[in-house]
Amino acid sequence: MKVAKRTFDAVIVGAGGAGLRAALQLSEAGLKTAVLTKVFPTRSHTVAAQGGVAASLGNSTEDNWHWHMYDTVKGSDWLGDQDAIEFMVKKANEVVVELEHYGMPFDRTDNGKIYQRPFGGHSQNYGQTPVSRSCAAADRTGHAMLHALYQRNVRANTQFFVEWMAMDLIRNADGDVLGVTAMEMETGEVSIFHAKATIFATGGAGRIYYSSTNAFINTGDGVGMAARAGIPLEDMEFWQFHPTGVAGAGVLITEGVRGEGGILRNAAGERFMERYAPNLKDLASRDIVSRSMVTEINEGRGCGTEKDHVLLDITHLSPETIMKRLPGIREIAIQFAGVDPIKAPIPVVPTCHYQMGGIPTNYKGQVIVPKDGNPNVPVAGFYAAGECACASVHGANRLGTNSLLDLLVFGKSAGETVVADFQSGQLTLKPLPDDAADVSLARIARLETQTNGVEVNDVRLDMQRVMQKHAGVFRFADMLKEGVTKILEVAERAKHTQIKDKSKVWNTARTEALELDNLIEVAKATMISAEARKESRGAHVRDDAIDCAETPNGRDDKNWLKHTLWYSEGNRLDYKPVNLQPMSADVEPIALAKRTY
Amino acid sequence: MSAPGKPRSLTLRILRSAPGAHVEPQWQDFAVEEAEGMTLFIALNEIRQNLDPSLQFDFVCRAGICGSCGMLIDGRPGLACRTLTKDHGATITLAPLPVFELIGDLSVNTGKWMRGTAERLETWIHRQQAPALTAVEAPMEPELAEAIYELDRCIECGCCVAGCGTLRMREDFVGAVGLNKIARFRLDPRDERSDEDFYNLIGDDTGVFGCMSLLGCHDVCPKGLPLQTQIAFLRRKMAVVGFK
Repeated sequence: MKVAKRTFDAVIVGAGGAGLRAALQLSEAGLKTAVLTKVFPTRSHTVAAQGGVAASLGNSTEDNWHWHMYDTVKGSDWLGDQDAIEFMVKKANEVVVELEHYGMPFDRTDNGKIYQRPFGGHSQNYGQTPVSRSCAAADRTGHAMLHALYQRNVRANTQFFVEWMAMDLIRNADGDVLGVTAMEMETGEVSIFHAKATIFATGGAGRIYYSSTNAFINTGDGVGMAARAGIPLEDMEFWQFHPTGVAGAGVLITEGVRGEGGILRNAAGERFMERYAPNLKDLASRDIVSRSMVTEINEGRGCGTEKDHVLLDITHLSPETIMKRLPGIREIAIQFAGVDPIKAPIPVVPTCHYQMGGIPTNYKGQVIVPKDGNPNVPVAGFYAAGECACASVHGANRLGTNSLLDLLVFGKSAGETVVADFQSGQLTLKPLPDDAADVSLARIARLETQTNGVEVNDVRLDMQRVMQKHAGVFRFADMLKEGVTKILEVAERAKHTQIKDKSKVWNTARTEALELDNLIEVAKATMISAEARKESRGAHVRDDAIDCAETPNGRDDKNWLKHTLWYSEGNRLDYKPVNLQPMSADVEPIALAKRTY
Repeated sequence: MSAPGKPRSLTLRILRSAPGAHVEPQWQDFAVEEAEGMTLFIALNEIRQNLDPSLQFDFVCRAGICGSCGMLIDGRPGLACRTLTKDHGATITLAPLPVFELIGDLSVNTGKWMRGTAERLETWIHRQQAPALTAVEAPMEPELAEAIYELDRCIECGCCVAGCGTLRMREDFVGAVGLNKIARFRLDPRDERSDEDFYNLIGDDTGVFGCMSLLGCHDVCPKGLPLQTQIAFLRRKMAVVGFK
């Protein structure tokens, strides 16, 4: 079958924050770039980010990057690579000020500087008191950021392929990446995007869980494509459950609400976080707050007739503060919870929010894999940034506002690396193998001809329920074991999905079937990696990990201070060391310690 | 729904069409049982999952911020994800937004239109010289920042375009979304363009002088942007340039 071929210097998959930031770097340097995206760029899920972007500008309270680095390493439960973390926190001020120059409408302080608010896990003086580090545009920071980046890309004349779904990564016999295949959603036709460099910026896969703050488009496409093409996935057992999803609806309520003074209360009206995190209280790290909430609910102190949620209370804040700093939250609470937070507290539960793991990269945005005994060898022509990538800066638990920072810093860094490699002549257009599109065409053909198959919706729902039940906020050894068996069963069924609508044009059912292939890779990676990690660390907490002097909070540094690598083929697990060494001599390594807030 | 009891059975009457398929658009009824807190977005997904996988509509965030799910709801432009079924009768009619290129059923190409507008009005900060990245942010009065932010809240959903009388008669009109963008960049001291520059972009009948002040845009904006005030203000400013 003949497949149309397009050739570019670089192809970027995804047009959210990371993709747009990378695209800007490439377009402004004059590289011929194609940005593939399932939705129009300003509809991407970055638009839903609320609370802010971290930078130690120190505009409201004293701050510096050393403290930010310490907080991030501690937040990651020491699983984050300290070289990448140092790189990110040092670049923070630059990328934020750059956005300000692009016209991003940040809130301002009385002296005209960018307004900053406190956020969970961010502190002054190495964990002592909360710090104002989150640069915010009210409670719609992601929206303002995505539009500012998009405008800048229109200025740079970036070429977008809107409503194109990337399908499979193209690699040659040496394993070099040569581009992707992609389906135009309007026609259902598959094309080859042949490029010297391929950057994945496809976001997370929060849709593997039943209850998620993520948009329906967040199906881990890049992560799934990489896994199918033989790239291992790193630290996929670590998923962030955001403490404050609207109970029932799952829609996000920003941590900025607690940054502005919001308090979590149980059925007795008690501010229970004082018991779990005496210093930072409601502004402790997200994994800790989520677990505390679930503990309150499990022990019978939940609210409502089902005692299945807790309350987020801002009734003590002035209506003016709420209207000015949290107007979007008020809208969401009124619509999705039926309460006006000026008058009554908002019912909230921990909800799946963010994928800490992903495609392994270094701080330059190069995708790295183990080869010949070296765990970190770059894959020629392949780069990744944002939530789909694992640099790894978030380790076992991400701090709020570090995700927008991640996508700016590593989107830019991946872009800079590609431009540098391009200009030095290191990047070349390697010949395509003859079978470059065969895998994708076979996937489409199977959907065309499958009979007596299973419904995409049924398989997806089964996957989401298994993930929710077996790999949630608290994890149990026997449940994880059972979860592995169940998710492999679901994965087997996913090979036989069937669609009733076989039309070519704008066939949503086909798109969803292809997305499910990606979600399934992520679900398998998560369950298998989680079952294998016999300790508690950050967002991964098991019942059989014991809290004692040797393993504080159940964290077993002797055996488990290492990154997981999961390979799709044979569900094989491998491990590689965490980089505890910072990038420069400007800072000492942050020494291992028990994590308390 | 506040009163417990038997849930309502809803009828969603949807205008089905497939451009290129050479069939007349037609209304099709779908029965959905109302659930507590049901939005149109939830109802449409139920239809697509259980009744008709070929139904086309757009959505992403489900929280009123991505701007994908604009449609005509009982004849009025609005966001599906922000519309509660309980605020409507038992039969709700849904049709695609007019003006935009129709993709099929309730799906229209707002993105193409918005990109065209962005290029035409050059909706980005214009600066002769890029500031050094080592420089700190240029200070800005908090009140001014708030005023810019207020206009920057536009989600480009296209509801104002669909509700615009002028756009139904001349498709080269920039619409409230375009004029609001100009108002936003005009306020921003980081943008060095003068009123003369802006006049060149919107100082005619395809721009601010094309508005007939019917103000459908203002009434239907899901984000409650002050479009009426902004257009009136811009018109005065642009008239001053025009008389020079």
